[in-house]
Amino acid sequence: MNLPNIDLSSLPGLDTVTGMFGSMLDTSGDVWSDDTIIVLMTFLYDLIPPGGML
Amino acid sequence: MIIHPELRALRGDDAPQRDAQTGLYRAVAAWKSKAEFQKVSAELDLLNAGEDLANCDALSAIFTQNSAAARELCTTFVTQGAAALGSAPLGHIPLRHSTDGCTSTLLLGRSGRVTLSLVALDGIEMTRRPRPKNVSFGPNETWEFFLAGTGVAELVSCTPSGPRSAVLERREIPIRAGTLLARHGQRESRLLRDLGTTLVSLRLQRRSVHNEPTREYDLSSGELVHQAAGNPRDSRIELMMAMLGRMRRSDAAPAMAGIALGEGSTALRWQALRECLALDTLEGFQALSRVAAATGDPLAAPAGALRAQLVEMHPQLQELAPCLA
Repeated sequence: MNLPNIDLSSLPGLDTVTGMFGSMLDTSGDVWSDDTIIVLMTFLYDLIPPGGML
Repeated sequence: MIIHPELRALRGDDAPQRDAQTGLYRAVAAWKSKAEFQKVSAELDLLNAGEDLANCDALSAIFTQNSAAARELCTTFVTQGAAALGSAPLGHIPLRHSTDGCTSTLLLGRSGRVTLSLVALDGIEMTRRPRPKNVSFGPNETWEFFLAGTGVAELVSCTPSGPRSAVLERREIPIRAGTLLARHGQRESRLLRDLGTTLVSLRLQRRSVHNEPTREYDLSSGELVHQAAGNPRDSRIELMMAMLGRMRRSDAAPAMAGIALGEGSTALRWQALRECLALDTLEGFQALSRVAAATGDPLAAPAGALRAQLVEMHPQLQELAPCLA
């Protein structure tokens, strides 16, 4: 049987969208009152070895 | 660029820093090997396995109003940790930690979905921040024992009044050293204000094994403003499915159908259905038909509606799995 290809964007979501674990809108309060809050962190690594360019 | 002479010296010879770290590892290991913490650690495993807090002697002694056990456990840790840091000020205590300038946490112990953390809130910094407009209710149980400081806790109880609203009731209680707050995260949340200086607490938290999401409501209206997955596993699987979908890995479709028909949250299962349908029409449509036909399944109605919509757009789908629909 020749079946159609279905485009993902044509398929509806549920009425209430569920965000990623740890996401929240209002982070102004004491967000750490809950261990299930995730905050993305940026790390800077020193790629120049000691005794290098600096 | 200005580099502190001590840090500059470490760039050429990191041996002093390695020695300092070794000292801190030893200090924490020594504290963790004490009988008091060993008992606590074993009970974190019990709690993770589903045991009631009341049946965990050491933990229930700690998480009791005016508990002396909590103070003893933390005083030993802080005394030893501070002494070790005093001789190695550039060192890091080898425990998971975080700070945002207002709230600082240190993870003292963990077993699966159970965490034990030391938490410090800076009252002065907190006054500089906007008051929260929303309040979140997550699928977990939390016990907080306040070790030092004062403040006011606003306890907000949540009674859902519809799919997108809840009745929020607020009451205030004063906090001082010795206060214990215990709550079910889906029924009650707490906000803090009017902290004296620094408020320090020992916090025990157990995430639910169930699949309910975390719900965030507008404090003034009780309207649902956001919803998030209640456990990291759901989000991890969702991201993996999205990636496999973009990679057009149709060999993943049976596994996705399995997730759609499994025990996961409705959000995860629906996402599995969508990704499966987009990857493999036959596999996806069969899964969709089974969900639509499952009595009592909260996804039966949306699955039935989507099935009807797809059949209308692609009549040949009607010939697939007719006995299931």
